[in-house]
Amino acid sequence: MTCAVSLIWWAFPEGLSTARTLGIVLGWAGCSLLLASLLLMLRETWLAQWLGGLERMYQWHHWTGTTAYVLLLAHPLVLAADVWPNSRLLAWQTLSPFSQGWPIWAGWLSLLLLMLGLAATFIMRIPYQIWRLLHFGLGVGVLLGFVHLVLLGISEPVLPILGLAASFLGWRLIRDDFGLAARPYVVGSVKSVAEGMVEISLKPMAAPAAITPGQFVLVAFLGPTFRDCGEFHPFTVSSNGANHEICIVVKALGNCTRHIQSVEPGAMVRVHGAFGTFLADRPPTPQLWVAGGIGIIPFLALLRTGPVNQPTTLLYLYRAEVDAAFLHELQVIAKGDQLLSLKALATGDKAPDLNSLLSDTQGLANYECYLCGPRGMVAALRKDLHNRGVTPHQIHFEKFEFR
Amino acid sequence: MRRLYLSATLIFWLLVTAFWVGSLWLPPAEKNVAIAVDKSISPTELAKHTAPENCWVAIRGNVYDLSAYLPEHPSQPDILLPWCGKEATEAYNTKSKGRPHSPYADELLVKYRIGILASGKP
Repeated sequence: MTCAVSLIWWAFPEGLSTARTLGIVLGWAGCSLLLASLLLMLRETWLAQWLGGLERMYQWHHWTGTTAYVLLLAHPLVLAADVWPNSRLLAWQTLSPFSQGWPIWAGWLSLLLLMLGLAATFIMRIPYQIWRLLHFGLGVGVLLGFVHLVLLGISEPVLPILGLAASFLGWRLIRDDFGLAARPYVVGSVKSVAEGMVEISLKPMAAPAAITPGQFVLVAFLGPTFRDCGEFHPFTVSSNGANHEICIVVKALGNCTRHIQSVEPGAMVRVHGAFGTFLADRPPTPQLWVAGGIGIIPFLALLRTGPVNQPTTLLYLYRAEVDAAFLHELQVIAKGDQLLSLKALATGDKAPDLNSLLSDTQGLANYECYLCGPRGMVAALRKDLHNRGVTPHQIHFEKFEFR
Repeated sequence: MRRLYLSATLIFWLLVTAFWVGSLWLPPAEKNVAIAVDKSISPTELAKHTAPENCWVAIRGNVYDLSAYLPEHPSQPDILLPWCGKEATEAYNTKSKGRPHSPYADELLVKYRIGILASGKP
């Protein structure tokens, strides 16, 4: 926001009509928000820590990107509206790229790429690879927007900004997508823990990543003996051993994760992270943890480090017994931890009935609630908990979506 | 955010269409806008108008008073100001890496036309 206000103040036009001034200000505001959006897509642990976590960064990335798009749509329309009272023809020629040169063509191409890239995010249900390509088009659209300004002859503040935008895109591409920021690991063991679910241990080959329970890492299998889809996927860490060996759990949800089920010890892996603040800074009040399916992993990671410090109820929901990964281990942990109460239940395809499951949990309004599971389950639980007097501040969850 | 994207995109295209349709039905006065008084202006007279608040420029045989337009020109003032009081056809035809100005710019110029450049007399 500071970046946007500073840029508008710096470039604020003087002596123009109100509509033309507004049109120009809208353009600059859109540009600065796009720049902020590019910064927010960088996956750097220090940046994520500084800005409140990767998930929060992505929420702001979406907000700044969409707001910038709306402002940039309004920019040419307001400039055209400025001359409309004097000449309708001139108003259309202000908009039309056919009556103008490359500067306006660049502006239009930029807007169309932004339109298409955001359509891929908001409307179309398309495969991840195609979405990624269209999303990359958004980056090209941003650069074209700045080229539009350079071609108009506005070079002084724009060239450094164009350089900054290109640096952010290059940074993301080289450090995050090509994996320069990731650390080398090797697969130690692969263990089946439920139907279509494996726990993979990874040994560091260099300085290990710093990880706390509940965090996730971005992992890509890029070795010569085994390759996945060639891209980084987020996996929650299920344990972090004393020798810095970590474990991740992979559930076969798509082609890529299905392929990873067959990985063998010795395969090379790149690990980037860790990210996430899901179980960080928990207060000393009673806690309710609700896990759906593979959503048990962050809670398991925390329980594997030792007994809990506050009265905790863990509600573990899964479709069928064959899906109940780590259930026996959790039962053993709960038996040895007086503050931990475990309730495990196969729910089938039905939504869980919180009222019957938590009938003996008194004073739920005083609990801190941590939810991890499928999106529909988390949404239903939030509503149920709210109805039982739990405020939104007491409900913690991560969406785990990085589109 | 999905709703914001959809509504903004829809309104954008509706307004673009409205501007296009509006340009097809021109009022009679706008069709005759290019007819101006053909006052003959000598190069000496032209050369007297070099200040930003009194800037005349000759382009393709016509003289334009660009004083009111200067603040609206997209590029830096130092690109256009040196041409005040001068014949600037070549500069107008070869802006940004040799490319001419757009038809839109030609249309815009008409509004600022004040006469024709008298050739052969001081």
